[in-house]
Amino acid sequence: MRYLVPTLLALWSLPALAATEHSVDPATGLATWQTETRGIQVRLTQISPDQANAFYQARGFSAEAAAHYTEQCVFMTVVRNVGAVPIEYRLADWRYRTEGQPARAIRSKAEWDQLWQRLDVNDPARIAFGWAQIPATQVYAPGDWNQGMTAYAVPRGARFDLDFTWQVGDRQLSGTLEQVQCADEHR
Amino acid sequence: MNIAKVFRAASLAALFLALPVVAADLPPLSHGLTHQAPKPAPALKLRDLDGKQHDLGKLRGKVVLINFWATWCPPCRREMPSMERLAQTLAKEPFTVLAVDVGENTDTIEAFVSQLDVAPTFPILLDTDSRTMTAWKVGGLPTTLLVDKKGRVVASAIGGREFDHPEMIKAIRKLTRE
Repeated sequence: MRYLVPTLLALWSLPALAATEHSVDPATGLATWQTETRGIQVRLTQISPDQANAFYQARGFSAEAAAHYTEQCVFMTVVRNVGAVPIEYRLADWRYRTEGQPARAIRSKAEWDQLWQRLDVNDPARIAFGWAQIPATQVYAPGDWNQGMTAYAVPRGARFDLDFTWQVGDRQLSGTLEQVQCADEHR
Repeated sequence: MNIAKVFRAASLAALFLALPVVAADLPPLSHGLTHQAPKPAPALKLRDLDGKQHDLGKLRGKVVLINFWATWCPPCRREMPSMERLAQTLAKEPFTVLAVDVGENTDTIEAFVSQLDVAPTFPILLDTDSRTMTAWKVGGLPTTLLVDKKGRVVASAIGGREFDHPEMIKAIRKLTRE
């Protein structure tokens, strides 16, 4: 008993070792990667370049403007509180890693918006873009979740690991979604 | 809706096919509300699809469920029918729903509504420039807030919900009887 509490605390502070689950939608051929650990679920589902282009052009983006985003690797991203206490995350703290490259941050909504303003993307399209991305920060009560897009500067078909972090109270926790693969050009 | 509007709605409906949704593997909807210490609700004064103005301040004495959404947001689309079933279930109680769409026009919203098996009977309000959402400090779509009879925000839900789940109905009904 004397060692139980310190042991549990030590285990709690270790990086999450939860496995990444992988599935493929038979109808679309698009793949999903998901992991669930210590109260958080993170899930990435491929979005094909054609889907992403169609989505943003339908919301008022020109083909040229949309291409700035969709030439990156776009994923439908779900972050969910599957635990019993509130959790908080900050997307700016997340990093993705491809083999042989330094870890990179996900380009923020604010950075994208600066580009849209330079390209004269209209207001309704910019508003839709902003809300279509996964929130930059969020506090989730148990059961809360969001679904939104994230984009990664990774070549088509390449794989990467996503290191995500979140907070429970004043404890910073981390996990990894492993070997996520960028969708092919014409999937 | 006149014939021209129906035609426009049908054309716009095609746009929704572009939504990047993986239908066979949808994340599940939740059914809980997070209760919070009551605090005064920000102002909410917006026009609906017919141009009629709605003012939250004039709904004192009713429990109001405010849902921030957009037609291109997959969980928003999925939860909308359950919101209508909730509104029908509590139709005889001091309760109303306001669905606040962000950044879209009437034609786009009507195209979506025309696809639903049961059209919403509650008002759909237009937050064209997303200023109301910003004032309400909404971080992502969908977000739902529950306002009590005294005009105070008392609960919230981030992400898609099954609004007619018994637990949800019970929690809201309790507020209508306070």
